[in-house]
Amino acid sequence: MTKRCFLTALALCLSVPLAAQAPTAFVHARILTMTDAGTIEDGTILVRDGRIEAVGADVKVPPGAHVVDVAGGTVMPGLVHAWSKAGLGGGGGGAAPSFPGGRRGGRPTRVPSGGGGGGNAQVQAARKIADQIYDRQDIFGELLRAGVTTLVVHPDGTGFPGQAAELAPNVGPDVALAVRDEAYVVVSPAPGPRAGKAIKDALDKAQKALEERKKPKEEPKPEEKPAEGDKPAEQKPEGEAKPAEGEKKEGPAPEGKEGEKPKTEEKPAEAPKPQEKKPEPPKDPNIEVIADVLDGQRRAFLTLGSAMDVQHYRSFVGDEPMKSAAVVAERLDPRTGLLSLEAEWLKKAAPIVLTPPAMTQVPNTRTLAHPIKDLADAGLQIGFLLPDSANGVRSMRFDVMELVRCGLPADAALRAMTVVPAQALGIQDKVGSIAEGRRADLLVFTGDPLDPVSDLRSVYLAGHEVESHNPR
Amino acid sequence: MMMHRTTVLAAALAALTLAPDGSAQRFGRRGRPPEAQPQAAPQPEKPAENKKVESWTVIQGGDVHVGDGTVLRRTHVVLADDKIHAVGQEVEIPEGATIVDATGKVVAPGFCLPMASGFGAPGGGSDVREGLNPFDPTIKMGLAAGITSFLWTSGSGAGTPGGNSAVVKLAYGDLDGMVCVENTTASMRMPLSAQDLSKFRDLVEQARKHQDAVKEAASKPDTKAPAAPKGTEEILKVMSGEKRLWIASGGGGFRFPGMGGSGSRGFDQTQIRQAMEIASLLGVGVVLDRPIEAWAIADEVAATGSMAVVSPRQRVENDEAAPDTTGSNIAQSAILHAAGVPVAVTTPSGRFGGSPSIGTGGIMGQDLNTPHVDAAFAVRGGMPNRAALRTLTLDSAKIANADRRVGSIEAGKDADILILDGDPLHYKTFVETALVNGKVVYRKDDEPFYRHIRR
Repeated sequence: MTKRCFLTALALCLSVPLAAQAPTAFVHARILTMTDAGTIEDGTILVRDGRIEAVGADVKVPPGAHVVDVAGGTVMPGLVHAWSKAGLGGGGGGAAPSFPGGRRGGRPTRVPSGGGGGGNAQVQAARKIADQIYDRQDIFGELLRAGVTTLVVHPDGTGFPGQAAELAPNVGPDVALAVRDEAYVVVSPAPGPRAGKAIKDALDKAQKALEERKKPKEEPKPEEKPAEGDKPAEQKPEGEAKPAEGEKKEGPAPEGKEGEKPKTEEKPAEAPKPQEKKPEPPKDPNIEVIADVLDGQRRAFLTLGSAMDVQHYRSFVGDEPMKSAAVVAERLDPRTGLLSLEAEWLKKAAPIVLTPPAMTQVPNTRTLAHPIKDLADAGLQIGFLLPDSANGVRSMRFDVMELVRCGLPADAALRAMTVVPAQALGIQDKVGSIAEGRRADLLVFTGDPLDPVSDLRSVYLAGHEVESHNPR
Repeated sequence: MMMHRTTVLAAALAALTLAPDGSAQRFGRRGRPPEAQPQAAPQPEKPAENKKVESWTVIQGGDVHVGDGTVLRRTHVVLADDKIHAVGQEVEIPEGATIVDATGKVVAPGFCLPMASGFGAPGGGSDVREGLNPFDPTIKMGLAAGITSFLWTSGSGAGTPGGNSAVVKLAYGDLDGMVCVENTTASMRMPLSAQDLSKFRDLVEQARKHQDAVKEAASKPDTKAPAAPKGTEEILKVMSGEKRLWIASGGGGFRFPGMGGSGSRGFDQTQIRQAMEIASLLGVGVVLDRPIEAWAIADEVAATGSMAVVSPRQRVENDEAAPDTTGSNIAQSAILHAAGVPVAVTTPSGRFGGSPSIGTGGIMGQDLNTPHVDAAFAVRGGMPNRAALRTLTLDSAKIANADRRVGSIEAGKDADILILDGDPLHYKTFVETALVNGKVVYRKDDEPFYRHIRR
């Protein structure tokens, strides 16, 4: 499966230069760059080979360039959907997640109290969702046409359910390709001792594995001394045990190897292995992945929906949490305590909180709360969780407008859909903003994206206009 | 630490301690002579001496209802972190203490209810900590009603003691402070068949033999204590006082008379006598869970050291064949109390709080969340006012087997305290401030329930 993805990815790489020989220039555009350059009025974006070559008010349009006049329109980066279940639900419809209290006046869902927390946690950090997704689904194209130019799907479950995959929506037929099958590791605690203990145990094991890794040089020495004197015959079975162990290591993720080869990062544990002589117990690949997270070599997304979740998680992992790239709050449910109540602790866990763009109600009142503004005021970066349907993505803009109307800075709101989730994914140098070298994922609106009368006119993925299915 | 002494001007004037006046009243209906008050509560756990106090709080100058039936006028309550440090009219006030002025107010222990649900606790399961929600909005509703802790139960034994329980505190926003004690009660159901009863007798006999064997093993240095015989584990815990045995009637829930097809009126005298037999077998008092006719045999119940949870406003029609000894009415709690049976009150529906099936939907003021009014019904039935507060505090804590921790304002106990704007059992009284584990978790003026009510 991954092999096929890889091949198709190669095909895409080849096809891009062929299709985009002439540069494209977007002129007379109001540009929301999402960088320090801020908003450029009447600017030009020059795109070559799918990448942004230059942005600014004084960029010269080279002769022969394909010119797109955006006069009166606004260009912003494509949306970055960092936490999707699109295409995983079977069928590919990808129903929008229901955000409790999402729209104004929505009644928050009741906390499931019967039977307690989320049950038994699984430790499957090595599992890859890329191996389970069927890539020819309409939903990917639909999301793309709604403006989602970066899509990352994540595994579900309690504990360590696996690793997310970044998909590359294609311009032509609706094909999604895994471009990174190890986008991040999902850590999903449940409120209660059962899941808490399982997660703590896995973290402890990973910590031990990490300590083992850190002292590989010292180990051979004490090993040699007993080996000299007694029982040289014993070395043989040891040597035989080695390849078997190697096989076992590959076992759980055999296809993963191919996907990883192009990348030189990661896999630090593998290098010292051939020199070791001691028969070690076979390494648990899941624990190794968690150890990578502790070591800062992989990024983790931690799901904590409420202050209640934080307190339960804290009671097991303590006040110094494992560093994560982002905290994902799928619900903003005041009945379990809004996350902002634990903002100080959250800042230690992750710099970014991904939440649905929603207001919510103060319990027992009709007062609206603005949990997102509270988190932003506390010093956390806010990224938005996008819905998993095209219509959901389109109407989400109106939820964001309400957040802005109620006090969230417009700039922060737009960053929350683009550059912040890109940062959470560690791909802010590739997508999420309009700057030199970034992939030319552009959304052209007829006016300001946060103006209710403006409309999404066209979507560009890597410099190609995405064919619209909804001609105006 | 620097200390300074406060002098209270009116100390001499106010140094009047009212004794529990439970013995002052007679009861017309039964003409039962008043009897001795139940024995004093066990001493609270000794606070660790060397623990450094991080924050002091003083609730100053209120009329302190201790919880055991006494009232101390113009008295200070000193809290050291989450525990009560001292209670008195002349106490040393630590420097830097947060002063809460309660002059002209009433200070009472937080209510510890033996029958409640919701308030952030899970609906069932074997471990109360699974899914415990310290931010449940119903916690604030409970605090507004004066509830600071309750007995959470899950599952029940049938012919032998069983089930899980915990005393959960309404420590809003503090997960670690929510579980007070765990598994201090077990429960079983009446009636037992002759077969079940003889089986129970056997188990108790085995348990006694086991206790003797353990004692013998302890006297000999090199013998190991034997393992408890199978099936006696819970019984041994009840006998040792580690768990308080609750006895309820029937297959669960309360049956209104005439609704069940069994011909039984529920927890009637026959079943209560059987429960008393269980209590005598075990040698410890049990808790009768909403007995109907316990008042008719109150002396027998008192003799076993047993206790009762009743709903004072629950009225059950009497049987025409024996009108004087059947059914129940508003006087039942008073009669039980006079006989020396500790009583805790509950609602006719059985539970306070936000159980999903009952709910407190809408604004407050529904009967589920006014425990002080339920206790006031006991007063209406003849129970002395001050003693009736015990039905929500010390006696109900005893019934939940948590009276070492909660239920009264005494040094060493948990700082679960209410500041009220009037007599604790008056229907017009509101909780102004509630503290759980020494922290303010409710202020009337800050919460939407009653802040519009001004007097």
